[in-house]
Amino acid sequence: MDDDALMAAVAGGDDTALRELFARHAPWLAARLHAALPAADVEDVLQETFLAVWRGAAGYRPELGSAGGWTWGIARRQAALWLRRRGPAELLLPAVIAADGEVTGRPGRPGDTDDPADAALSRAELAAAVSTLGPAGGPQREIWRLMYLEDRTVTEVAELMGVPVGTVKSRAHRVRQLMRAALRHREPARAGGKR
Amino acid sequence: MTSGHDMTDEYGSRPGHGPGPQDVDLDRVWTGVAAEVWLRRPGPVERLAGRLLRSPGLARALLTTPSLLLGWVIASAVVLGTGALVTLRTGTPLVALLAPALAGAGIAYAYGPGIDPAWELSQSMAIGDRMVLLVRALAVFGLNAILGLVASAASGAAAAVTFGWLVPMTAVCALALAAATVGRSANVGVLVGLTGWLITVLSARTVTGQFSAALTSTTLTVPYLIFAACCAAIALYATRIPGGTS
Amino acid sequence: MNVELSELTRRFGRTEAVAGVDLEAGPGVLGLLGPNGAGKTSLLRMMATVLPPSSGTMRLLGRDPGSFGPRREIRRGLGYLPQNLGYYPGFTVAEFVEYFALLKDMPPRQVPRAVAAAIEHVGMGDKARKKLRTLSGGMLRRVGIAQAIVNEPELLLLDEPTAGLDPEQRVAFRTLLREFGQRATVIVSTHLVEDVAAACSEVTLMDAGKIVFHGTPGELIAAGTGHGVGDAPLERGYTAVLAAARS
Repeated sequence: MDDDALMAAVAGGDDTALRELFARHAPWLAARLHAALPAADVEDVLQETFLAVWRGAAGYRPELGSAGGWTWGIARRQAALWLRRRGPAELLLPAVIAADGEVTGRPGRPGDTDDPADAALSRAELAAAVSTLGPAGGPQREIWRLMYLEDRTVTEVAELMGVPVGTVKSRAHRVRQLMRAALRHREPARAGGKR
Repeated sequence: MTSGHDMTDEYGSRPGHGPGPQDVDLDRVWTGVAAEVWLRRPGPVERLAGRLLRSPGLARALLTTPSLLLGWVIASAVVLGTGALVTLRTGTPLVALLAPALAGAGIAYAYGPGIDPAWELSQSMAIGDRMVLLVRALAVFGLNAILGLVASAASGAAAAVTFGWLVPMTAVCALALAAATVGRSANVGVLVGLTGWLITVLSARTVTGQFSAALTSTTLTVPYLIFAACCAAIALYATRIPGGTS
Repeated sequence: MNVELSELTRRFGRTEAVAGVDLEAGPGVLGLLGPNGAGKTSLLRMMATVLPPSSGTMRLLGRDPGSFGPRREIRRGLGYLPQNLGYYPGFTVAEFVEYFALLKDMPPRQVPRAVAAAIEHVGMGDKARKKLRTLSGGMLRRVGIAQAIVNEPELLLLDEPTAGLDPEQRVAFRTLLREFGQRATVIVSTHLVEDVAAACSEVTLMDAGKIVFHGTPGELIAAGTGHGVGDAPLERGYTAVLAAARS
């Protein structure tokens, strides 16, 4: 059975289809989440993710992407929710940046990122990097807060900030550039950094 | 833990996932998902019963009583309702005569080796089978009493008859219970209970010429109760919890 | 020591099904062997607190099952699979395991996870919501094992657990036994000698209500060298010991 058929079965209440989906996707999802979260959190987020799949499978549209991509989207949102509840936002950064570069998830390519930032950023480093985005309340800091800390969609952010969607996207691009530069800049000072 | 690159383990049906990252326990994750997905959510009646009895296990055992299942209850209601209609037309206190019989059958079919396929396993449970039996018997009795009272009142019978059958009903139930526990069979319980009741009614009729004699004769009240107590004692003895040495 | 039996006896009328058994068992897997009518099932039933002994003393999980409170406590830590386990046809696998988890007085919060874990442990995860009447005999046996392990018992009593399981499933079952044997006392009554060989650290052989051998599988094998009849070493030990006991 292919993923789309399994999703349809899950929407119809078939728990064995969910089991099969879990077998296929949990390993790579876990690996990708593990790049940003400690193992215990990965387990909790993954559990919430698949429960969300169970409840929301009716909302899956095969024509819009793959089941893996859809599930990754849920996982990412669950991770964001999790961190919002638990605290440190810096751990979300690598997952967010890595995931943003992919429109649809590509199953089987866990942890695929060429970004130097990894999960073990310290608060201070992150705070310093964020400060390069400009003063708090400024456009780039707002983009950072709304898109990356609160994980809102582009449309929502556009509405909240009162600017067109295109502006949001280009500002987000700028934010990512600045953050990457700031973090890469700190790379040599850390032992065991990635790359 | 995860089972290597086999897509299935020896049983052939665990989620045959490959290994995740080293320290992520995917089996544990799936257990958490399955716990939610497979969960049976108790209905409001069961939850209430659980709170009243202070034991969700006892509540579940109560609500799975064969003679408390919806089908049985509806059937009882239909029988008593028909009885009420007949009583209205003919005057024979059919409801009062039927109610004890129905209750007796219900009690016999509440619990025990004749009716519980997993009887032996049930005897090894922390929530003892005697407790389950007690709760079930009381519930069946209570339910039948209520149904009977409603039907009786609806049939417009005299007050003596309306309530008079509660005592005989207790006796019949106790008899059915004792027979079921001693004979280790629900059918034996029903048979003995019904037969006993039939004999009582018929012999009362032969003596006084009335069907309702078995119900309204106050001289029988005390004997009924004593009989019920004896049967209850027999049932208690038959279900004595296997102790140390005996 | 999870099990301490001393001169345990059980009479049915005139016959002594169990005739003065002394047994001590700690964590590990103990195989209970013997011909039909040897008293294995009666012994297991007494340890499951389902059958009262006629005489002798019994201590299970450090308590005396003679009084109500300790018996209840023992039963909370007990897992039992009778030889003939009936089932409720209209229940699903999950409902059945959950029912007995509740009757074992498990804290309700723990029940859903424990049920899920037990079902997956016996390889019935893809049938969790199927009704029991749709399952084969071997599957029902596995469901029975699941209800026995759901409360992570310290004393696990299994009467002919592998009946109806195919060889592949029996291998998986032995893995489960060994796993449980690390923390708990597992007593398995079986007449399949190879089950014993693979999983048990100790073996007890019963005949006519008495214990005629107690030791390791290796010692049973040794008892059979040169004497016994059978195809496998354990079988030879088995028949040799029985013959000696009866002569």
